[in-house]
Parts: sequence; structure tokens; C-alpha cells
Amino acid sequence: MNQLTPAEPVVVARDLVVDYLAAHGPVRALDGVDLAVDAGETVGVVGESGSGKSTLGAALGRLLPSRAERRHGSMHVAGHSVFDLAPQPLRQLRRDQLGFVFQDPIGALDPTMRVGAQVRRALRGRQPSPRRSTRDAVAALLDQVRLRDPARVARAYPHQLSGGMAQRVALAMAMAVQPRVLVADEPTAALDSQVRDEVLDTILALTRAAGTTVLWLSHDLNAVARRCARVVVMYGGRVVEDGPAHAVLARPAHPYTHALASSAPSHARPGERLTPIPGRPPLLAGPAPGCAFAERCRFVVDRCATERPPLARVNGQAVLCHRAEELRSTAALPLPARPTDIPAEIGGGR
Amino acid sequence: MKRLDWLSRCGLICLMVLVAAAVAGWFGLAGDPAAIDGDRLRPPGAAAWLGTDDLGRSLLPRLLEGIGATLLLSSLAVLVTAVVSTALGIVAGYVGGAVNEAVLRLVEVLYAFPSIVLAILVAAVVGPGRPAAMAAIVLVTIPLMTRLVRAAAATVASRDYITSAVVSGVGMPTMLVRHVLPNVGGTIAVQGTYALSIGILVEGGLSFLGLGVQPPQASLGVLIAQGGIYMVAAPWLVIAPGVVLVLAILSINVLGDGLRDRLEPREARSLT
Repeated sequence: MNQLTPAEPVVVARDLVVDYLAAHGPVRALDGVDLAVDAGETVGVVGESGSGKSTLGAALGRLLPSRAERRHGSMHVAGHSVFDLAPQPLRQLRRDQLGFVFQDPIGALDPTMRVGAQVRRALRGRQPSPRRSTRDAVAALLDQVRLRDPARVARAYPHQLSGGMAQRVALAMAMAVQPRVLVADEPTAALDSQVRDEVLDTILALTRAAGTTVLWLSHDLNAVARRCARVVVMYGGRVVEDGPAHAVLARPAHPYTHALASSAPSHARPGERLTPIPGRPPLLAGPAPGCAFAERCRFVVDRCATERPPLARVNGQAVLCHRAEELRSTAALPLPARPTDIPAEIGGGR
Repeated sequence: MKRLDWLSRCGLICLMVLVAAAVAGWFGLAGDPAAIDGDRLRPPGAAAWLGTDDLGRSLLPRLLEGIGATLLLSSLAVLVTAVVSTALGIVAGYVGGAVNEAVLRLVEVLYAFPSIVLAILVAAVVGPGRPAAMAAIVLVTIPLMTRLVRAAAATVASRDYITSAVVSGVGMPTMLVRHVLPNVGGTIAVQGTYALSIGILVEGGLSFLGLGVQPPQASLGVLIAQGGIYMVAAPWLVIAPGVVLVLAILSINVLGDGLRDRLEPREARSLT
């Protein structure tokens, strides 16, 4: 549950810096990400659009678009340094250890191929049990993600499925080989709210059964905190807060996490105004000189703009903030509403 | 699946009529295109439906032979274009990087020449005749089609299902053939029809200039060139092949529009 344990973490990012090469110069997407995730953990990665969470997810499988460039740092998955792997081992690593679920479920399926054929291809080289035929294996996979009529779904083309069904199919394909790490990039953002919970339940139940580590990228702090044991908050291409979900939500140690939690509708009482975060997220061209959140922070002091904050430990959380200790002791970051409605045991920890 | 709209269906029917006419001419149903009837420059009438030319040959069998030659030549050339452009475009669009740049630059060099200049250049190198006409059509249509297939493939390459396939360990050849090719198939079909109409135009132009199909063999370009001489005395000699040329190009373009609407649907699907 904590950040570093003696057992080797399955995902380790060390000072990872990634730039996107745009026409007017580079844009920094990851500005020194440090992250270690243990096997079997369910980690919610929270951040606004542009915080770098999707880039982090893509970096995990070295799936960055060609205009993205790793400047330095490393990413290890299951003991392999993904940026140093030769093509063949990289292919093997992706095939055997990684699964991805994307935001747009229809777009994640090939429109020219029947669902069954796609699932079969995802299974290729892997048979859950040698006794069963491939057709049964496909049906079993589709059944596993709680699709009601697997045989009919297998015959359908992607555009004939609803978003929820398509996302379940995508999940079945991602989990077909029981990968060690599943990256779910806003898996429910494009779904109806009533389907959302079902799909999330399916994702978490499946991954728990397979012992798969989950990185769930989301912008919804509360939804993530409700289901994950651990929450990682990203801002400006860095991990600004990292700790147990209930602690992060109940006692945010970083001003940004606090602001994020306060701006969530679920924390407001009826009639109460939400507290927006002033300003916009930064668009970095190079390394941020100080804290990326300095411009929007209520607690900003002079050195926030000039000095990169070092890692501080506050309560159970790892925080990138110069004033973390100070803010905790003065209780400057209380939450406006009832943060204790999240039982600590809910989440992905096994 | 939407059906073709009425306009494209007219185009399809018109094209089929032309093909049928060419086949009929092939089997000599309208008579021997080389046979000399006697009277020269006779106006259209009961004996020769479309009149006769300056050597006394009936125009109708000559026209049917011309339609066949033009359509066959252009179709073969476009087939070659389709294969080459698809291969180049898919690889460039999917792989990107230096390969993409190389293909684009190569194609841009071809694109920089006006098509008729390029065609004349080819005819000068290969020597006038059917091979020259075909090579010219291929070289003129390749740049356009390669660029469009490349663009379509590049769009497909950034789709999530390609990323999913990469994650599941699909190799490059399988990826190109099973995932990229089917998803750019619509673009290839649509651009193929447009390339066909360009091909007919190029053949017409080259043969008109005397660099393509050589008389006494007929093609639409040859007929227009020969008829043009007697524009005043025997206008039917240029009007009939001219109308057929316009009809062929028009019907193919209209058919292409219909195919485009049907095969390249907008990304406007409901997500839920």
C-alpha cells in the first residue's frame, strides 16, 4: 500500500520527462514523474486534461505518438526498462504483460472486423485452457465481462454495440491474456452514468481475480478515491501527491489536491457554491522553474515560483510542496464537507 | 448500409451501358470497324447510324472499339496505380517518420509536373503507343492517390484499435493487411473511381496529340483527333466520341461521389 516495499514494484517511473514536439517548439507533458506501483495494486491517477496522466499511461507501453520524445528518466515495467528494449522483447512485453482500455469504446474496436474475430486475435497464442475450442474461449471471455448474449455480440460489428457493451468487449480483449498491468485511460468517461458503475465493477473484479495491477487514469478524484486503495494526483506533468485514497481525500496535503476536492460537486452541500480553481493549468515549454501550481495556489510564497519543491512526507502521503508540513500543522486545508463517507477498506488492495 | 442515391445509380447504369457497348463492339455486333463501306463522310443515316469517316469506315463500330480501348487501358492503368499507391500510402501513413517523408517527397516530384507534360514526357521516353498511354496514366494518378491513402492510413494509425493491436503484439505485416488496409478500403475504392476518370482524360489527351493509341486502332482520343479535322464538313465524327467521353467521365465521377458517401461515413456514431 505504501510507496516502496521490499518486493520489486511492477511499474517504476524514475524522473521521467517527455516532450511533445509542436510546431512552435516543445511542450512538456511529463516533467519528472516518479512513481512506483506494486504488483496487484489498484492506483487511481487523477489530474486535469493536460496534467500528463495519459502520456504517463502511454509511456508505460512505449506507446507515445511519434511526435513525443522522452528527454530523460526511465520507465520500468515488470523489471524491463521499456525505453531501452529491442523491438522483439518490447513486443513480447506488451503482448504478455500489458493491457489498455481507452476512453472511446467504439474507437478501440476495429470497425471492419466482427467482435468475435477481434477477441480471437487478442487471444492469439494464448488459450485459457487447451481443452476448449477458440470459439468457446471467445465466448468465455465475453461472458467474463458480463455481456448478456456473448454469441450474438461475437457476431456483431463494433458499430452495432452500445458504448457499454463495446467497453466490455475492449476490456475482454485487454484482459484476454491476463496481463500484469492494465492501464485504463478514463474508461467510463464516454459512457452513460448508469453503465459507468457496472463497467468499473467489472474492470476491478476482473483485475482483482487475475492479480493485475491497475492504473486508472481519471479526472474524477472522488470516483477514483471510492474504488482505489491508492490515489496519485498529477499536475503540470508531475506527481504532486501520492498516498492512500482515504487519506488523500480526507486530508489532502497538497493545495492542488485540496482545491480539486473542494471543487467537486459531491462535496458541496445544497445551496453552497463550489470553489473553482482560479487560472488555467500551465503549458510548459521546458522544466517548470518552481512548483507548477504556484500561479494558482492560495498559499503561494516567493520560493514556490523559483525552486522546485522536494518530496515531503506528510501523514501517509508523499507530497511535492514547499509548505506541506506547515500547512498540515496549521490545518489550513480542511475540506468543506463530510469526507468520512469513504470507508477505508473499499478499493483494490488485496 | 445506405444504398447509392439516384444520381450515382444513373452514373453506374451509364457506365454499364458503355461497357456493354464496348463488349458488343468486341464481338463485332456492330460490324467490322476496319471495313470500308465506300461512301466517305456520309452523314448519319440508316446505312451507317453514326455516319462514316474520311476513309468510308462506319463510325459506330469504330466508336465501340474506341470505348473498349479507352476503358480497358484506363482500368488496367488504374489497377496498377491502386496497387502501387495503396502499398506506398499504407506503409508511409502507418510507419511515418523517414519513410513517410521519402514517399511524400517522391510523390511531390511527380505532382509538380502538369499531368499532360508528364504524359508527353513518358510518351517521349517509351515511344508513342498503348504502353506509353498506360504508363502516363499510372504516373499521373499515383501522386493523388498515394497522398490520399497515406492520409487515411495515418488517421487510422492513430486510432485506439491500432494501439490495442500493437499492445496485443500484432506484427507489422499483419497490422498493415488486417487492420490498416480494410480501414482505408473505402478511400481506395473512391479514389480509384476518380483516378479512372482522370485516366480516361489523360488517354484522350495523349491519343489526341498522337502520342497514345496509334491509328488505325481506335480510342476515344484517336477518334476525336481524326474527327476534328472535318469539324465543319462532318461534325458527327467529333460529336459522337466527344459526347461519349464526357458521359464516361461524368458517370464515373458521379459514381465516385456516391461511393464516397457510402464508404467513407463521417465519424458521427453514437457512443452509447
